[in-house]
Amino acid sequence: MKKITLAALFLLIILILVIFPQERKESASPLFEQPLLITSAGQNAEILMVSVLAKRAGLDSILSKIASPKDLENIKTIVLVLGASSKGLGAAGLDLAKEKERINLLVEEAQKKNVPLLCLHLGGEARRGPLSDELISAFLPLAKMAIVAKSGNKDGFISGICEKHDIAIVEVEKTADVLTPLKEAFK
Amino acid sequence: MVVAAHPLAAEAGLEMLKKGGNAIDAAVTTAFALNASEPFASGIGGGGFMVIYLASENRVTVVDFREKAPSGVPQEIFNEEGRIKPDGLAVAVPGALAGWVYSLKKYGTKSLVDVTQEAIKIAENGFAVSQTFSRINKDEYEKLIMNAGEGTCYLNEGFPYEPGDLFRNPELASTLKLIVSKGIDEFYKGEIAQKVVKAVNEKGGVMNLEDLALYEPVEHPPLKGIYKDYTLFSLPPPSSGGVHIIQLLNIIENWPVKKWGRNSPPYIHHFCEALRFVFADRSRYLGDPDFISIPVEELISKKYAKQIVSQIKPDSLLDSYPFGRFDERENDNGNTSHICVIDKEGNIVSLTHSINHFFGSGIVPEKTGFLLNNIMYDFSDDLSSPNALGPYKRPLSSMSPLIMFKKERPYLILGSPGGTRIFSSLTQIIINVIDFDMSLDEAIEAPRFFTYSSQGKARSISLESRFPENTIETLKNMGHSIRIREAYDKYFGGAQGILILKDKEVILGGADSRRDGHGAGY
Repeated sequence: MKKITLAALFLLIILILVIFPQERKESASPLFEQPLLITSAGQNAEILMVSVLAKRAGLDSILSKIASPKDLENIKTIVLVLGASSKGLGAAGLDLAKEKERINLLVEEAQKKNVPLLCLHLGGEARRGPLSDELISAFLPLAKMAIVAKSGNKDGFISGICEKHDIAIVEVEKTADVLTPLKEAFK
Repeated sequence: MVVAAHPLAAEAGLEMLKKGGNAIDAAVTTAFALNASEPFASGIGGGGFMVIYLASENRVTVVDFREKAPSGVPQEIFNEEGRIKPDGLAVAVPGALAGWVYSLKKYGTKSLVDVTQEAIKIAENGFAVSQTFSRINKDEYEKLIMNAGEGTCYLNEGFPYEPGDLFRNPELASTLKLIVSKGIDEFYKGEIAQKVVKAVNEKGGVMNLEDLALYEPVEHPPLKGIYKDYTLFSLPPPSSGGVHIIQLLNIIENWPVKKWGRNSPPYIHHFCEALRFVFADRSRYLGDPDFISIPVEELISKKYAKQIVSQIKPDSLLDSYPFGRFDERENDNGNTSHICVIDKEGNIVSLTHSINHFFGSGIVPEKTGFLLNNIMYDFSDDLSSPNALGPYKRPLSSMSPLIMFKKERPYLILGSPGGTRIFSSLTQIIINVIDFDMSLDEAIEAPRFFTYSSQGKARSISLESRFPENTIETLKNMGHSIRIREAYDKYFGGAQGILILKDKEVILGGADSRRDGHGAGY
């Protein structure tokens, strides 16, 4: 009898995990409005993937690798793609300090205008490390929601920040899986 | 034995050896298979060099299938940031297919059908993407999405491949079948040529059908150097690799490196100072020998090495690193994935080939499945440079496939990708094996460093992060600025090698974990 109860409990847990995959905290309704400005914190290559995803989701978006406060005109949401790329920073003629300064100015202006921040981290384990983690620590706490590739959060670093700051987080297996939560996040 | 940058390619080459093919058959089989299994680094859209040792003739020869600039190339293609825009202008006329088939016909024993079968199978059946493939695919996403488009097989439904995803390339398989059935003229003069020209020009390039039709590989004698009891054969220009490996070994021969210790501060300091002199010569003299005179013999002379040694200080940097000055001579004719193969007869191939940057230009001719190179980046943006671009010119390369002999018998087959780091990395591996008695695998895996000079001034030393802190501090105290890179950074290349001991009784393969290298033997 005890064995049957344990088996049933185990099955129930599996069922819950299948029905509610990965989502630690789900938003009940769309959190964001269009149009959205897509930029990166760290000049990573994932920013273009997010642009393709936004296009596929039918979202009205603008991409700017070096967005500044003046780009916020008419913008209702900032999508910030987190992760430092040495190659990307070099190509943009930026170092980490200058990149942080750029994002700080952008986010400060956004806060003044009540433009919310959606953060994404799609680079996985390869887009973690001291530089990326510094950017994640600096800007993720300001987000209203985060969508992250599971492989970049194996150590719970990203979900830990989200938990501490009460930020909705969706973890996905693959880049293509971002499409559904991204669509659902926007009106 | 076959060593290559992907296990499937190495196994394909090994199968060819087992079927009775010789080293040239196996090398060409492996090259085709790499196009299918490591398409981001080499392929029929690129070019390269092959050093061949023919055991029965005891002769070494070089087949040069470096890409050439299109005839209509404008005088200036680099923008202020040193980039070539639009991307089509970065594509040079591919030479790989012509070079492989030339070598196969002249020195191989098998047919084009035989050497392409494994590549076709790999392209059709696919394979699980590695961490290396996935990471490079993500890094080069922008180029691929812009030039190859969302529907390309080089992206997984428009996004980069994740490790473990299945990568298939049926269009490459069809292209290879077409080449087999119609011959390589299909690539250089037929339907594929038309698709190449269309794809390049749609992206702002200037290639025409005649550029492709006129392409021919070149065969010439190797460059020879001596280091202690060893004789080295590698490439003459238009690759700078052979010249600079010999230069570096000639310089290092004057120093007690064994006493200093491997990767000790004095060793790294002296090696880096030598590199800075070598780079001064590279930018002053090296280019396409069909268009300029290059003082190769002077550059690789022991006398010139001693001149450089006499200028290097033991514990500090120089203010400037001048290039060598040589007397004028009359009638001067001076003239990136690696594969190593040795067959049972003792024939050897050391082949380095490339499409330049990872995923090349990102341009894929319509429904062909292969990537075109962006080798035009290897030209200098300085119009007064010996490596300035021009119609039909071959850009300067750093590739350095080499074969070393110890007392008349083959001892070491070696090569690597890695851009201008190639000759530095290969020299470090040679020293590791010969002077520090390391096994080939240890020598390849050992931490690497690199530096260069630009306009006579020292640049910082890049070091893998495995170097001890006190070594780094000592180098800083000598005046070097330091840049720390990853522990096993593909910036320093991904070497492949074969070490032959006791007259072919023991053959050891070495493949670099900085890439997906693999050795296969029987």
